[in-house]
Amino acid sequence: MKIVKMKRENLSSFLEAISREAELWAPVKKGVDTHAFQVVKDFSEIDLNYTRTILPPRKILVPSRFNMFQATKTEYTPDFSHVSNKIIFGIHPCDISGLLTMDKFYSYAIEDPYYLESRKKAMILGHSCWPDEHCLCKSTNTHIVEEGYDLFFTDLKDFYLVWIGSTQGDDLIRLVPDLFEGEIADQDIQRFMQWREDRDKAYSSEINFVAMADLMELRYNDPVWAKLGEACLACGSCTNVCPTCNCYNVEDRPVLGAEHSNISRCWDACTLENYSGVAGGENFREKRADRLKLWYTHKLQAYISKYGKPACVGCGRCIATCPVDINIKTVSDSLDGANPDAFWNRLSQEVTK
Amino acid sequence: MSDNNKLKIGIYELTGCAGDALLILDCEMELLDIFNAVDIQSFLMAKSDNIDGDLDVALVEGSVSTEREIEELKDIRKRSSIVVAFGLCATVGGIQARFSEEEWTQNLKEVYGDTEMTHTKAVHSKPIDAYINVDFYLPGCPVGKDQFLNFFTRVVQGAPPESYPVPVCVTCKYNENDCLLNKGIPCLGPLTADGCGSVCPNHDVPCYGCWGPAEGANLTSEYHLLQEKGFDIEAIKKRMSNYSGSKFQEFFEQFKNKESK
Repeated sequence: MKIVKMKRENLSSFLEAISREAELWAPVKKGVDTHAFQVVKDFSEIDLNYTRTILPPRKILVPSRFNMFQATKTEYTPDFSHVSNKIIFGIHPCDISGLLTMDKFYSYAIEDPYYLESRKKAMILGHSCWPDEHCLCKSTNTHIVEEGYDLFFTDLKDFYLVWIGSTQGDDLIRLVPDLFEGEIADQDIQRFMQWREDRDKAYSSEINFVAMADLMELRYNDPVWAKLGEACLACGSCTNVCPTCNCYNVEDRPVLGAEHSNISRCWDACTLENYSGVAGGENFREKRADRLKLWYTHKLQAYISKYGKPACVGCGRCIATCPVDINIKTVSDSLDGANPDAFWNRLSQEVTK
Repeated sequence: MSDNNKLKIGIYELTGCAGDALLILDCEMELLDIFNAVDIQSFLMAKSDNIDGDLDVALVEGSVSTEREIEELKDIRKRSSIVVAFGLCATVGGIQARFSEEEWTQNLKEVYGDTEMTHTKAVHSKPIDAYINVDFYLPGCPVGKDQFLNFFTRVVQGAPPESYPVPVCVTCKYNENDCLLNKGIPCLGPLTADGCGSVCPNHDVPCYGCWGPAEGANLTSEYHLLQEKGFDIEAIKKRMSNYSGSKFQEFFEQFKNKESK
């Protein structure tokens, strides 16, 4: 690892240079106050002053739907057209941790070439951030990253400190070496230390993950799940916006007037009713409560048992998304003893006038 | 099967706007492939030499709203191996089926007075599965092009069609829209079957539910949520029942029971 300095005004020249190397993805303004990662041609569209994009950057590597292969009655042809050289600029530490989690899921038991090929060709250029009221990354210890990036830009107002995390990242710097300075003055280091201290103090939300896997197990039959099930809209949004959710479905899409089918892979969400449906019309998890329990077991227990940390990177997307306040914070707090009615006091009401 | 080994298909329209039948004709790039892939025996909107014989697949659009349509529908069922409810009106009854029997009778009287019906008698509008067994449902107002082509191509190949069991919120999130419910706008995304591509929320317009109820929709939670956002019971009832045909009526019966107590 090496750290260099770059003046703020050099950023667009740098982006200009690297965008000739690969497709450049960066956060842009989507709605009034929302953001999304998009392919960027005009650098003025990039908005680095964002907290979280609606979808996590995994969508860049495995789109919500793509073809895995084309099949005829006798043979099949793999389709990797979703794979291309990409540079993802402006990813926050939580989302880099999300990608590291995806790496484990997609290579632990069986290697998934559709993810891994895409991942190999994507360069990760991280960017520092400032927490809002939903950010929980300090609790998940994903507010800083020590791996998983090619370059990482810490924004210190008039300059950046740039961490070089890989030789590929170093190659990008070497495209335009004049934009960077190797000398970092003591006052620059002081500025960085101060920034780190200030940011650590800026977190207003936290989750107590101590013994969370045990609580999840102990409270497996707790009435809290039925309460959450009553409130859940079963819209699948928490799952679709989660940086560590990776489930997918595979569908045959025959092509009209042709001899082949496209075998199409699309995201799936365990919080949706259809997810646990099997042949014969049976469904293992018809109840919303059971589906929520599955999702949170995965995030708060199964992953902890296997990898020693929760499958939550503290990005706050489930908090910002769920219209009925079922999210990693409220569920963890409930498991930790908080009154579930405190966040959903409408639950006890009947359908009344 | 026809002599040329193609599936015999019939497309029928009961009470509705005919938008679903029109959607087929709107598949302009695929139209030749569609007509080449199957033997279309009956399709009133597209051709004049229609034959009402035995069919492999019948696509039925519209709700059942007259006695003559009941007979017509039963006849289609008798002649067809597979009957598909094609579009919202056939699937759940559409806007015309959102009323209770009592309200419907009152509406009929208000509109037609004592006018005598000569050629057929109006009946309370219902989805087609109120009268016959339905093999597959294809919701939508109208059905989406991709959805129809997927369905059609699979049926032509003898495969069962994919169902559309997810709510609009799924595609809405894929499209990275900001949740309108979180902004206090009465969006019906969580209650509504997906397939439209979340076209309204893409333009900051709340979902009106025109694809009909999604499987497993949580009416109670959505109701409470809208109530919390400040909407009154009549506004919520009206919005939620607008396109749900006969499917949400049971839920709203609960209110009536409360009111009568």
